[in-house]
Amino acid sequence: MPVVQVKLPDIGEGIAEGEIVRWLVKEGDTVKRFQPIVEVLTAKATVEIPSPYTGKIRKLLASEGDTVRVGQPIAEIETDTAGPVKEEKEERPEEPRKEEASGQPRPQLEATPIETQAGQAGIARVKAPPSVRILARKLGVDLSKVKGTGPRGVITKDDVLAYAEAQKREPQPPVQVAKEAEVEEERIPLRGVKKVMAERMVEAKTRIPHAYVVEEVDITELLSVRERLKPLAEEKGVKLTILPFIMKAAVKAIREYPLINSSLDEDKGEIIVKRTVNLGFAVDTPHGLMVPVIKNANTKGLFQLAREVRELARKAREAKLSLDEVRGSTFSISNYGSIGGVLGIPVINPPEAAILGVGRIRKEPRIRDGKIEERSLVYLTLSFDHRILEGGYATRFLVRVKELLENPILLLAGEGELE
Amino acid sequence: MEVLGSRDILNLDRALGLYRVIDEDGNPVAGEPSLPDKLLLDMYTYMIRARILDGWLLKLQRMGRVALHAPNKGQEASAVGATLALKREDWLFPSYRELGALLVRGMTEEEILDRALTTIDDPLKGSDFAIYGHRKYNIVPAPVPVANQIPHAVGAALAAKIMGDKIVTMTFFGDGSTSRGDFHAGLNFAGVFKAPVVFVNQNNQWAISVPLKRQTAAPTIAVKGIAYGVPGIRVDGNDVIAVYTVAREAVERARSGEGPTLIEAVTYRLGPHTTADDPTRYRGEEEVKEWERREPLRRMRRYLISRGLLTEEEDKALWSEWEKRIEETVVKVLEKPPLPPEVILEDVYEEPPWNLKEQMKELRESIRLLKELGIELE
Ligand SMILES: Cc1ncc(C[n+]2csc(CCOP(=O)(O)OP(=O)(O)O)c2C)c(N)n1
Ligand SMILES: [Mg+2]
Repeated sequence: MPVVQVKLPDIGEGIAEGEIVRWLVKEGDTVKRFQPIVEVLTAKATVEIPSPYTGKIRKLLASEGDTVRVGQPIAEIETDTAGPVKEEKEERPEEPRKEEASGQPRPQLEATPIETQAGQAGIARVKAPPSVRILARKLGVDLSKVKGTGPRGVITKDDVLAYAEAQKREPQPPVQVAKEAEVEEERIPLRGVKKVMAERMVEAKTRIPHAYVVEEVDITELLSVRERLKPLAEEKGVKLTILPFIMKAAVKAIREYPLINSSLDEDKGEIIVKRTVNLGFAVDTPHGLMVPVIKNANTKGLFQLAREVRELARKAREAKLSLDEVRGSTFSISNYGSIGGVLGIPVINPPEAAILGVGRIRKEPRIRDGKIEERSLVYLTLSFDHRILEGGYATRFLVRVKELLENPILLLAGEGELE
Repeated sequence: MEVLGSRDILNLDRALGLYRVIDEDGNPVAGEPSLPDKLLLDMYTYMIRARILDGWLLKLQRMGRVALHAPNKGQEASAVGATLALKREDWLFPSYRELGALLVRGMTEEEILDRALTTIDDPLKGSDFAIYGHRKYNIVPAPVPVANQIPHAVGAALAAKIMGDKIVTMTFFGDGSTSRGDFHAGLNFAGVFKAPVVFVNQNNQWAISVPLKRQTAAPTIAVKGIAYGVPGIRVDGNDVIAVYTVAREAVERARSGEGPTLIEAVTYRLGPHTTADDPTRYRGEEEVKEWERREPLRRMRRYLISRGLLTEEEDKALWSEWEKRIEETVVKVLEKPPLPPEVILEDVYEEPPWNLKEQMKELRESIRLLKELGIELE
């Protein structure tokens, strides 16, 4: 049974690479020709790639989250002989078919690396079209030393020019040093979600004068309320984490401190106070930081917030968020504590006025009514735009959030606050 | 004050209304025209073929075998219905989203796939992608700039009129294309000179990510015809019978020397703009779901079944027959060799100038050398 490689196809103009989002098959599965086998995220969209062959998946050569280049092998398929033989040949052009016909025993052939065979053939080994050969001769470039980046390793004009340029710059390259430097660093292009993050953070940190205030919140009681609510929540198909409670507290406190939910129109010199709270929350995903948005969070109950947190976080991880779901936030929360940071200082998500950071829940001794007790504590950090908010206002807001979280009755009292 | 020409042209009701024969669930509404059973079944079959072929082109693009595809899903009725009103000798000037129109003209799935995969049998010999045309079927390929085909169709219609040919031209274009000057110049010219042309606007609500309301402040697209002295008729573009009925009237009008008609077929693109587009970035799921309900194939199937012209079993058989036939065609076309590189020089000069001939010589030499080196061309 011949084994053929499935390569990332050329799936559109200007697309050089894609990220493996999800394999739809696993090793050992049988697949039919044209059956979708993998979901790939390109610069333009997430697409399903069909299998070019019928057969059994022998190996997946790329993992979910990997970025692969067009033409790079992503899987190996054991095909039945009835498969599309022609395509298989196309995929493996270097198989020395001629020799086979000349009657040489096969094992010997396979044992002989193709490189060596061809090396003996001298100049013919170099893959370059005539115009490139002429250019190389003119520039005195030895083509056998140039690595081709064209299809199937063909040397292009640019390869020759780049090689000649490099030769000029380093007449006697200290080979050892260069090699060492090479192994020590890796260059990761800033792309996609990461690039967006980089740009926004520069904007935030260069334009917005940040100031910070931190509170310690005792959520012991809140945790026990959560335990008590769990059966009810489960009945409604909701998984209750701490985040929705903090969201509820923030949104409730914003009712009293509306400037927290505003932005600055720098051109007009006006503060825009927003009546709706669209709540962004940071999600750490395999492809980078994403901030999905819960629309109209001020009108939603605890359970609904919990539902949306879960759904949006799932979509974020699967790179399935629509544009609508990541824009229009008016206030954000970053829950780094779910990973582990005790206390963080988040950067504002422009053009918002503030962001609330949530630290890890710690158990520590505290003195209450003269006794030492084990309490559950969490640090909340409010980073705020000091052009819009005074320290006093921001602190009063944070203190209010603390009060609500420490008195869950206040937090959940009121029509529609729970559901 | 005296009004030039006929007042019929000013029929605002037809330009602002929505002509419909079957409703969204396939039930006939008042005034159902009586059409031969075979024609009704043909309409449905053409739509099925277009739908299946469309799916394949998308798949083949994802396999890297087709450069680009503009999905048709949801718009089959406008393309099929309008084109069925033409005669063999008439000429079609399509856009890039009318597989059904090509099939109605007689192009086969194989010929369409030859084009998309630029095989050795590609009738357009590898010229620009995602556009279709075929001399044999009087289909003129569209240029890539949108709306350019509108003045072409007008010009061809006028030429025919001057030469005394009794033919009609029909052109398709999208809602976005009505914002181009070519649309306005084309309609104006056609109106003034009574060109025998039928303008079919496929108003699918979107021009890539630009919604209709950003395209025009006019209440409908059909109403724009009136200003040029061209009657505008707005029709439910997902109702194949309605589109056919209106198109037949427009074709007859053109053929009898009364001039052009602008048909606005109100429809919806259910898929992405092209294979390089992600519509979730600019439109909501709700909207798409809403239009999926009005999708033309489901409607026509229900209608045919309720009229007793089709049974559930026959419907299933029809689908599986075409699914099988088209898959076989796909497999066959995938095995065909690609176009030879020499076609680059064809169909521009009758006798190519010396510099192009020299380049061709160089190209042949390079190909020979690559072959010697055992490098196959992609
Ligand atoms: C003159 C011109 N401008 C821009 C483009 C890029 N473009 C290609 S298709 C398209 C949208 C056309 O929308 P519409 O006419 O509504 O047709 P649809 O794609 O919806 O069928 C645009 C802007 C083009 N091809 N030509
Ligand atoms: Mg459109």
